[in-house]
Amino acid sequence: MALNSVVETDFPEEFIEEMEKTDGVLPKKIDANPENVEKGLAKLVLTLIELLRKLLEKQAMRRVEAGSLSEEEIEKVGETLMKLENKMKELKQIFDLEDEELNLNLGPLGDLM
Amino acid sequence: MALYIYGIIDSSDRINEPIYGLDGACVYNISYCDIGGVVSELSEQLQNVTKNSVLAHEEVIERLMGHFTVLPVKFDTVFDGRDCVLSMMQSYYRHFKDNLNRLRDKFEFGVKVIWPADKIKKRIRNSHKKNEHEMPIPDGSSNKKFMRKKLEKYRINEEFEKKANKFINVMDIFFSKFAVEKTLKKLKTENLLLDAAYLVEKDRQDDFKEAFEHVKSSQPDFKYLFSGPWPAYNFVILSNKNDLLKDSEQEDLFDRVIQQRELVGVDKIWH
Repeated sequence: MALNSVVETDFPEEFIEEMEKTDGVLPKKIDANPENVEKGLAKLVLTLIELLRKLLEKQAMRRVEAGSLSEEEIEKVGETLMKLENKMKELKQIFDLEDEELNLNLGPLGDLM
Repeated sequence: MALYIYGIIDSSDRINEPIYGLDGACVYNISYCDIGGVVSELSEQLQNVTKNSVLAHEEVIERLMGHFTVLPVKFDTVFDGRDCVLSMMQSYYRHFKDNLNRLRDKFEFGVKVIWPADKIKKRIRNSHKKNEHEMPIPDGSSNKKFMRKKLEKYRINEEFEKKANKFINVMDIFFSKFAVEKTLKKLKTENLLLDAAYLVEKDRQDDFKEAFEHVKSSQPDFKYLFSGPWPAYNFVILSNKNDLLKDSEQEDLFDRVIQQRELVGVDKIWH
């Protein structure tokens, strides 16, 4: 006796597309070899920097919303975040990395970002 | 000989029905105490994941579920012989037993929902434009302009997530009525609002399906995918800690299994 499992949807292509987006981002295994080791390492480091940058940005926005930053402080934070963002863009270009590549699969915890 | 494992079952009995798995090999049960690991022999390691091999794996598990409670094992799990399978079962015996008891007579159902993310974001953006004067950062230097842009994006994303949570909570109320456990993944992509798995008792399957139809009709702008019943892939909980039985506990367990088997007239424990 089998379970007679079913998959019911009127939009199979759209679900496949969305699921592929989530699958395609992260490799199942680390493909490390002498040719790509530098890029792999850069990817890992830039992912962590990007996480910190996003956290900083979010925290800054929260503080702006809460009204706890003076105009001068907003100016300074803006300059810092802008410089950080530009630096990240530069580094991504150097190592030929796209935004969606900067992520880590944490197993049962899901993706880092 | 390498052994491909499909699942752990709540029985140490032989599998009477012939079931064929990967490479058309016959599956059999390697018993440990009162549970078993269902395997088939594998002549060579799987080189590529093919549709047929995935379907063969799934079919074996589904057929086993017709007779036993099954803890499905991840596709492409291979052991280097019978001793390795037994050693793994010894290490995880307690976890397997706990899971088998928890998952008895329950199936997994999948629910995925796509919402019109673009439309929703556009609506939020438009309503924010109307309230631009509420922006706490005055327009000025390039740094302030940068911060204004960032804040606008932040506000839109926050509201987008709030809306997503609201929809998910409403849907989940209906599904949770008939489910005993669940895993919800919110916004895996901007469009994929919900990717959920629910654990449902065997005799509540129809109620769960009805709840799905209700949700579907109450929010017709969204797109839905319903699947199941599946083996409980998302609900097997194993800790990494090896929880080996002590020798005395193992002996005691074997004694109890032998006694029970004698009671039901089965004379051999090991196959």
